Amino acid sequence: MGKVLIFGFFSFLAIASGLGIILLRNPIYVVVALLSSLIAVAGIFFVAGAELVGALQLLIYAVAIAVFYIIAISAVPWEKAKKSESHYRFEGLVSLPIVLFLYAEMILVFMLGVKASPEGKFRAFIEKLGNTEVIGAILFSKYFLAFEMVSLVLLIGMIGAVLIGRKESQTYEDDST
Amino acid sequence: MHSFWIDLLVAIIKILVILGIALGIGAFLTWVERKVAAHIQRRPGPMVVGWHGLLQPLADGIKLLTKEDLFPRYGDKFLYHLAIILALVPATLVFSVIPFGPEFEVFGYKVKPILSDVNVGILLAFALGSMAVYAVALAGWASNSKYPLIASMRKAGVIVSYEVVIIFAVMGPIILAGTLSTYEIVQKQIEQGLWYIWVQPIAFVVYMFAALAEMGRVPFDVQEAEAELVTGFTVEYGGMKFGLFPLVEWYIEGLTLSAIAVVLFFGGWSPINIPFVGFVDPLFFLGGLSPFVWFILKTILLFLFILWLHWTLPRYRIDQITQTAWKIMLPLTLINLVLTAVLAPIIWR
Repeated sequence: MGKVLIFGFFSFLAIASGLGIILLRNPIYVVVALLSSLIAVAGIFFVAGAELVGALQLLIYAVAIAVFYIIAISAVPWEKAKKSESHYRFEGLVSLPIVLFLYAEMILVFMLGVKASPEGKFRAFIEKLGNTEVIGAILFSKYFLAFEMVSLVLLIGMIGAVLIGRKESQTYEDDST
Repeated sequence: MHSFWIDLLVAIIKILVILGIALGIGAFLTWVERKVAAHIQRRPGPMVVGWHGLLQPLADGIKLLTKEDLFPRYGDKFLYHLAIILALVPATLVFSVIPFGPEFEVFGYKVKPILSDVNVGILLAFALGSMAVYAVALAGWASNSKYPLIASMRKAGVIVSYEVVIIFAVMGPIILAGTLSTYEIVQKQIEQGLWYIWVQPIAFVVYMFAALAEMGRVPFDVQEAEAELVTGFTVEYGGMKFGLFPLVEWYIEGLTLSAIAVVLFFGGWSPINIPFVGFVDPLFFLGGLSPFVWFILKTILLFLFILWLHWTLPRYRIDQITQTAWKIMLPLTLINLVLTAVLAPIIWR
């Protein structure tokens, strides 16, 4: 009973802040709404008993990622932040079908996933070994290939960031003289 | 049903005790800090209110509460107040994963002196601890003023750099203990007869640097920098709203980070350790109370050590701080991880 109530509270909070992310005008309010929705999702993980995932959700999404939004937006001047009309109305309209398609795909995958998931298969595992160990064991056995691929993608992303962030002027500095 | 009510009662008592510690001791520590600072600088410190100024925190509190409440004209009222809540709540929540002592029995009912013994306690502590960056960033932005914004950007930079470092630093003890639960980490140290400080000195030094940076103490207090930024992101706050920020940053975070350091490196509530041999307890005459006394004693000593550093060191520049984090501290923690990997099988046995 208590669990259901807390779950309901967090899901309501997640949905409400999700609406806030889309509807609020002031960008810093949007980031605060994003933060609140990320924390709410972490809360749902805790209620579901997935403590490690919840803690990582807090640590990685709510702190490490969202903080960069805050830092970026804090550098925006006050008057610009409060501007009410959007610059990207046309682009938004164009991207709508793609967004709808993505949502449809998400729902489809979710429905298929619910059917395909091994019901109660991991519960015995978790009770025997504990949350963290189970995730480690599954990650490094069943999903090892996917795990390695993701680390490759992250490496490529990092190299890309370094290349984009590097100043060109330093590369060709001495050519002119 | 019966045990549910007992659980609830125990939880409520624990929460009250923790809030009492967090807010009561937190306020009292302002007096300790002023006394220590004064004696380091060869002054008497607060002497007027009560015996040796013992009631000074009370006087300060009344003064702060009765001050006029000012608000910057073009500030953002909602975020301005949200920042205060975001500062206080996560910092206090960290106490919920700190184990104060071993399990004991009251009226035949087993009680663990830790609010919630989640099996990822240590991750949770750092996740909540680093939420402080939002309070600082929002306080700086919502004040709509130059100095707070500069200060909050500085502090955000410092926290982002040192958050990475502190998590890599605590990986060493976590690997040795083989668990993420704070209670279990202490248990493991007692079983292995070893404080992790003896085998993880690098991790401890890096942890202390990062802890100083997180709680904005000298030598990393660039976000305050009284001489350059007045008092940093709290400039536009007045009265008790101003008072809460230093209370949270310096005292509550100071206490939690010291307590976590005690849990990770000094064996929590265990008495003095001789590596690989066992424990010597000069406080044996206290009986069942001795573990709690040890835990509090170690935490207070570590906190006083931080105070000592604060009042004797000069301040670094912001670029020096972030450079130290990325170029010295992070490689050091990586070296420490390699050393730990060699050491761990010997300690696990």
